[in-house]
Amino acid sequence: MQVFIAQVINGLSLGSIYVLLATGFNLLLLVAMIIHFAYPQVVVFSMYIAWVVLRYTGNSIVLAVLAAILSSVLLNVISAPLFQKIMKNREEVDINTTMVMSLGIGMIITDILSHGFNKGLPIAFPPKLVGETPILRVGLISLMGGQVASLAVGVIAVSGIFLLLYKTRPGRAFRAIAEDPNGARLVGIPLLRTGLESYALSGILGGLIAVLLAMLLGYSSPGLGEQVAHKVLAVSIIAGLGNLAGGLVVGLALGIMEALVQGYISGSWSNAIAFVVMLLVILFRPRGLFGIKL
Amino acid sequence: MSLAMYYFLTISAVYILMSWALYLPYRLAHLHFLTVANMLISGYLAGYLVQSHGFPFALALVAGFTAGGLVGYIVSLFIDDAPTFTVVIVGFTFIYISRTAVENIKAVGATMGMFGLPMVAGTPNAHRLTILILVYALVVVVGFLIYRFEHSRVGRAASVMFVDKDLATSMGVDIKKLGRLVQTFSSLIAGGCGVIYGFIYRSYHLDFFTFHLVGIFMTVIFVGGYTTMWGSLLAAPALYGLSLILPPAVASWRIVIYGAILIAVLVLKPEGFITRRLAYTLETTLSRWRKR
Repeated sequence: MQVFIAQVINGLSLGSIYVLLATGFNLLLLVAMIIHFAYPQVVVFSMYIAWVVLRYTGNSIVLAVLAAILSSVLLNVISAPLFQKIMKNREEVDINTTMVMSLGIGMIITDILSHGFNKGLPIAFPPKLVGETPILRVGLISLMGGQVASLAVGVIAVSGIFLLLYKTRPGRAFRAIAEDPNGARLVGIPLLRTGLESYALSGILGGLIAVLLAMLLGYSSPGLGEQVAHKVLAVSIIAGLGNLAGGLVVGLALGIMEALVQGYISGSWSNAIAFVVMLLVILFRPRGLFGIKL
Repeated sequence: MSLAMYYFLTISAVYILMSWALYLPYRLAHLHFLTVANMLISGYLAGYLVQSHGFPFALALVAGFTAGGLVGYIVSLFIDDAPTFTVVIVGFTFIYISRTAVENIKAVGATMGMFGLPMVAGTPNAHRLTILILVYALVVVVGFLIYRFEHSRVGRAASVMFVDKDLATSMGVDIKKLGRLVQTFSSLIAGGCGVIYGFIYRSYHLDFFTFHLVGIFMTVIFVGGYTTMWGSLLAAPALYGLSLILPPAVASWRIVIYGAILIAVLVLKPEGFITRRLAYTLETTLSRWRKR
């Protein structure tokens, strides 16, 4: 029973990261109308930037967090004109081409991380960030600082985004564009500015996720982005693309499932089992469990 | 023929075939990355049959084609008319699953890979020549089939489906059947390519089937032009050749270079270098010249 509880706690922490990533991903999909497949790679890039800042500032966590957020926002905002140009070229929303563009951006980020940082080897974050001793230990159950932080920040950030989307004017603008871009333009909502705001907002979220992921995993590697990108897209598809509430449920469920599989099945087959379950759901419900909101 | 030239010619041909395997389903707006998993599955299967059971290469190649087609057909039963992003994620998931399976199966070398595959013909030179002839024969046959497909009613139906699925349905196109057909054919080609790819190097290793491969094929198809089959024919040798002529220090960044080229082309020449209009103009010019 203790193993079960410990793995559920691990799963909730991991799941909250998936939820945050899926929320940022869906935000860009709904408002900017792009499938930003490289969003998790942007997050992993920010993890590397945080690692560099930690190394050169004597483990200053505040500066690392700021650097992670800044790099994530910058990468997102820099890529925005490229996506906008594609839309303009085609004179229509073409999310498939934006996905190809995003895959290209992901290729570049992953290869830069493979060549430009730590000779392509995985990086380890200092114990000051990750936490040296568990906050709480009861038998097999132990709670690390990173787990608590990712869960807490995850809950706060997702609640904040839901509040922003459903209780504020900018949130209404975001939802209006998601619902009907032409209608939103007619009622005076600036599409370009609101789109850029969504890039910036998902960038801020990306920076936060980078720090949380660093705290939770304690390491990063160039290939991490691809693996996470794949899972986030899978979460979004299983939930139904653009479905924020669905992403919340499926993200947590995937985190818990992965943790339970790792807890009870030894060896590297555990990862495959999580993928097989994901694959089966996608094959039988290609349009998601909760419906596409596009 | 030098070894470098042999690798250039054979790998370019594999890139052409694999880009066509991606191009064909993309005619229906399906980015069918399952093809890379097909390469891996069929390649390892053929390697295992040849190395552990003494199968002749020809039989292993047939087994590779069959496995590719079979996996492609079974998967296509579920994603025949699925949205692009679903097809993409199914492909990626299959790559992860098949990689994890190979990592854990000792009979195919697990993480160490399979080395020292027997030669297809008696001597190294005969082996290379046989592989070269085989791969280019395959390019001609697959190219001919795709050309015929493009100039048939089914090809025109695919063009309609790319533009508007609902329109295609209302015009009487069975989009599910068409989806299954092109996805199965694309997986079949990929299965055969997987076998040949391993026999070019006479080894199989998981590093041969990474996500970089997906990126390379995607770059070939979008840079060459995704609206005609001719784009891949030019882009594959050009892009592979580029990494060979660059100085080693720069060539090691080839994925960054490919990614940058892909983004530049998507922004500046959205249809790639060989557009449908250009291909049509060339075809009509050629036909006029032949008549004269």
